Amino acid sequence: MIALFFALALLQVRIPDPAQFVGPPKGPALTGPALDQRTYEVASMLRCPVCQGMSVADSPSTVALDMKAQVRELLSRGYTQEQILSYFEQSYGQFVLLKPKFRGVNALVWILPILVLVAGAIVVITTAKKLEKEPATGNHPPATQPEDPYIARVRELMEKE
Amino acid sequence: MNRTVLIIGVAITLALLAILFVGLGKDPSAIDSPLIGRPAPPFVLKAVGSGDDVDLQRLRGKPVVVNFWATWCVPCYQEHPVLVENARSIGPQVQFLGVVFNDTEQKIESFLLQHGTSYPTLLDEQGKTAIIYGVGGVPETFFINRKGTIVAKFVGPMTTDILQANVAKAMQ
Repeated sequence: MIALFFALALLQVRIPDPAQFVGPPKGPALTGPALDQRTYEVASMLRCPVCQGMSVADSPSTVALDMKAQVRELLSRGYTQEQILSYFEQSYGQFVLLKPKFRGVNALVWILPILVLVAGAIVVITTAKKLEKEPATGNHPPATQPEDPYIARVRELMEKE
Repeated sequence: MNRTVLIIGVAITLALLAILFVGLGKDPSAIDSPLIGRPAPPFVLKAVGSGDDVDLQRLRGKPVVVNFWATWCVPCYQEHPVLVENARSIGPQVQFLGVVFNDTEQKIESFLLQHGTSYPTLLDEQGKTAIIYGVGGVPETFFINRKGTIVAKFVGPMTTDILQANVAKAMQ
């Protein structure tokens, strides 16, 4: 037991401890199938840094496998999803989050589609209203416009009959 | 109305094209590290060959160059002589450290025997130190000043000019 304690203590000084970056674990320590499930879910939220738009959960690259192992270890130690995402964000930046945060320039990712949708709706409604008014004011040619000679000739022939 | 719609459409298209061109001009692998300007994450890693522990915090007071690499990385072969030569010429006023991840000690020793070295090479088993430094691919090099703050990061094979410019930043 004492040997295990010292081995763990030694292990903890060898690597940077996540608690230094995100504080002590705030959730329950996971094990078994729950750990497997949450590892996949949290790793799915992280971008593989050496892949093209793949998540850490789906990438077979060694860097992604290391990151996935780290996610698993943090969950088994009781770190929450928010703490784990923050841990990776502190090292890799927001780039590592597959779902960008509603903050700074990234907020445009969320706001722009809504703005474009609203602008599109305004254009459609305005155009539709305009089209509704148009039959009254007229697609018909103004009265003052001289009649097409061809139509005038047809009319003349019809009247003769 | 049509004129207004046209102006808005052109403005949106131009804005999107500008964003596209700015994005295309950037190197996708050169993402700004959030660690720049922050204290370098501490680590204690075993040196390949001697087996001695190297503690980054004990190097405080001296600029440190931390180069993440691996024997399976082709650009690392290219930059290795640059690092070895500069570590020799700059001398003990700057500490160079190589950190190898996703690799085996045997392969690293064989590489160093073949290509030579002039500074400690540390083994990052499980890649945890690489993760805490936000390393995506190798090679990546971090420049740490005397106070232990990361002042620069370079992604890709190092050249003497780039190395010396960043070492100068770390020495300020």
